Amino acid sequence: MITCKEASRALSQMQDGELSYPLYLRIRLHLLLCDACTHFAQQLRFLHRAMQHYRQ
Amino acid sequence: MAEPDFASRCNSHRSYLLRVAMLQLRDGDLAEDVVQDTLLAALQGATGFSGRSSLKTWLTGILKHKIVDAIRRKAREPAFATLEEECQLDDFDALFDDSGHWENPPAEWGDPEAQLAREQFFDIVQFCLEKLPPNTARVFMMREVMELTSDEICKELTITSTNLWVILYRARLALRECLQQNWFAQTGHGG
Repeated sequence: MITCKEASRALSQMQDGELSYPLYLRIRLHLLLCDACTHFAQQLRFLHRAMQHYRQ
Repeated sequence: MAEPDFASRCNSHRSYLLRVAMLQLRDGDLAEDVVQDTLLAALQGATGFSGRSSLKTWLTGILKHKIVDAIRRKAREPAFATLEEECQLDDFDALFDDSGHWENPPAEWGDPEAQLAREQFFDIVQFCLEKLPPNTARVFMMREVMELTSDEICKELTITSTNLWVILYRARLALRECLQQNWFAQTGHGG
């Protein structure tokens, strides 16, 4: 099981479209079990939308 | 299209363009120059504006190229070497305990989409962007606002993709913390 610290870093990397498949699977598993990182993942996606809005 | 009218319509976006350039470049004079260049290029290339996108989007597209040029020139200056220093991950150790768990686990943000309609929310976004270290903000804006790909940014700044991901991770953690503290933790903002 990877830690939240490792998961959060990988989740950020996912925003930039770069993650190996094995790591991706470990992240999916982590998210199933971890509410905090699930919120973090949602917030990263929200941050992206907010920045697009900011540009408009 | 009447020429003077087009010029004044372009000019009406000046303060927005300046705000974006300032956040990217952190240098008032350089930001002014880049916006001036952008408006000049827009007037010279007015025929290239098809009206399919909004004028603001079209101008932002031109600005993007001018900013990348300016950053490319700046990257050759010694002052930009601090980019490497900003790649250190240690500062974020405080956000996690020794076993790698969140010190303050991110909680739900309620209905974040509703915030996007509020002008005050974007004042806080601006405030949080300004609090980032300059190069971190620059790289984050290149990725999230200018929407350059990772490869493009690495090429422009001659950094490795690992360094880029660390900088972007750092920016996102810091922005999330800042928005949490200054917006979502406040009453009435759903968090």
